[in-house]
Amino acid sequence: MRLGRRALFGLAVGLVCFLFAFPVLWLILTSLRPQSGVYYVHRGTELTLVNFAAVLQNERIVQAFVNSALISTLATVFSLMVTVTSGYMLSRFRGLLSRTWFGTIYVFRCVPYISWVLPLYFVTQAWGVYDSYTGLLLPHIAVHICFFSWLMKGFFDGIDGSMEQAALLDGCTRWGAFVRVALPAAMPAIAALAVLCWLFTWNEFLFALILTGQKTPVITVVMAQFVHEMGIEWHLMSATAVLALGPAFLLTLFGQKYVIRGLRI
Amino acid sequence: MAVLSPPPPAVAAVSPYKGARRRRFGEQERFMALLIAPAALLMLLFQVVPILIGANASFRDWALYDPKRTWVGLKHYVEVLGDPLFLTLVLPNTFLFMAVSVGGALCLGLALALLLNRPFRGQKVVQTVLLMPLMVAPVIAAIMLRWMFNDQFGIVNVVLEGLGFEGQPWLAQRWTAFAVIVFTDVWLWTPWFTLLLLAGLQSLPREPFEAASIDGAGRWATFRFVTLPLLRSIIVVCAVIRAIDAFRTFDIVWTLTGGGPGRSTELFSLYAYVFAFLNLDFGKGSAAAMIGAGVILIVGVLLFRVLDRLVEVSR
Repeated sequence: MRLGRRALFGLAVGLVCFLFAFPVLWLILTSLRPQSGVYYVHRGTELTLVNFAAVLQNERIVQAFVNSALISTLATVFSLMVTVTSGYMLSRFRGLLSRTWFGTIYVFRCVPYISWVLPLYFVTQAWGVYDSYTGLLLPHIAVHICFFSWLMKGFFDGIDGSMEQAALLDGCTRWGAFVRVALPAAMPAIAALAVLCWLFTWNEFLFALILTGQKTPVITVVMAQFVHEMGIEWHLMSATAVLALGPAFLLTLFGQKYVIRGLRI
Repeated sequence: MAVLSPPPPAVAAVSPYKGARRRRFGEQERFMALLIAPAALLMLLFQVVPILIGANASFRDWALYDPKRTWVGLKHYVEVLGDPLFLTLVLPNTFLFMAVSVGGALCLGLALALLLNRPFRGQKVVQTVLLMPLMVAPVIAAIMLRWMFNDQFGIVNVVLEGLGFEGQPWLAQRWTAFAVIVFTDVWLWTPWFTLLLLAGLQSLPREPFEAASIDGAGRWATFRFVTLPLLRSIIVVCAVIRAIDAFRTFDIVWTLTGGGPGRSTELFSLYAYVFAFLNLDFGKGSAAAMIGAGVILIVGVLLFRVLDRLVEVSR
């Protein structure tokens, strides 16, 4: 009876895992098939690595990987820097300024991206940052401000404020109390958000599509360019997608523990 | 669980700076402004300004073929609100999508979080596998699922036919296409709920569970009367945040069906996109987007109230 239940449990878990992983497994399998075989992925047995070789020889794709990694990392660092302070302010202070800021964040989080991306294109062109790293990086930082400030506020709410008060009484400046007392306590949450922010930026598509010209290709846009009028170049697209999964997989593998611990507080 | 708490009450009972405020009034305001300055500046430049440009465009005849930008007042708003397609198809589609996909991902995410919260052999591996959709770019996931549900070459039909069922032209019928969209969205966003709810479950105090087991409560009763009420706030906030996002879903629908067959699976974001980018009528597209923003703003607040009340009553 016990054994039967355990077997049933294992079977159910296995089935759920299989269903969850299936699209990814299918993607990997497709990437290993030669160009002639991608339409019958399930039938052929011929496997090859030529797609990966072709992708890695393409300079634009390699450049896109470098760009994506750079943008994701820098966007993570900067968006955490600006949202930590803004979340701290929302959590620790009351009054008109705080309420206004919270209202602004809520309202702007509701505005759909669609009403935002096209004017953003005009704006970046007008300021001369279109198709540059700055023009790609700054909007990617801005896009997370509302959501992350909200989350950060929650984290700081969970941390007792009396320690900072004690630091203040001991003659610490407000800034000192924030940097030396509150910030270290919020470190697990910051680590969790860093992992999520990196993944979000790495996988972001709509903004990258609008803001990317010739000079700054990023990985999601390059992948989407395999889908065109003539059909989809499945073998190359899937190989690029599998390569793009790599860093995200590593980050999730080693970062999940910090995410769960950080969101817990 | 204090991770995602609702807006601060207007009058705070305890503030660590209460004493300090009386002495240095102006200094505190300066510090507050300093803390939000970088975020506010970035938001102003890359979010507020573009959105204001969009809002301005929504009151004008602003199109590629007519660059005069004549002020027309509320004309576009009246047109969009009077469009039967918008009222009878796009809005119901959007709300249905929001309800089903958020509900589905929430239930599935909660079930998986409960599963991962108990120790068993291979728990770490299972957890990594279940977080997999988080690693895949939504566009790629959508392209991949479109491929799997392809009526000629897709694996889904191959398997169905192998099992003796009839293959379906999934993306060419309204409701099957809608189901594929919802399925993709649920697949993509379940890990997000799993992560947050798992973190929530692990932070719960132990005592109520011990008390429940002493009282002889079964598994279901423990879940229903102890776990669920304790997770209340996090469930509500997760669901509301996700619902706002679901309302403006664009990329996966665009990639999977493009709103088709016909315009039968069009969600509100696509409706605005079609005006702004395909018909190149930027004014009307912006008006549609502004209306959508207004709707979700109100719905978000209502949803928050209702869900909070609902869980409160059930306790």
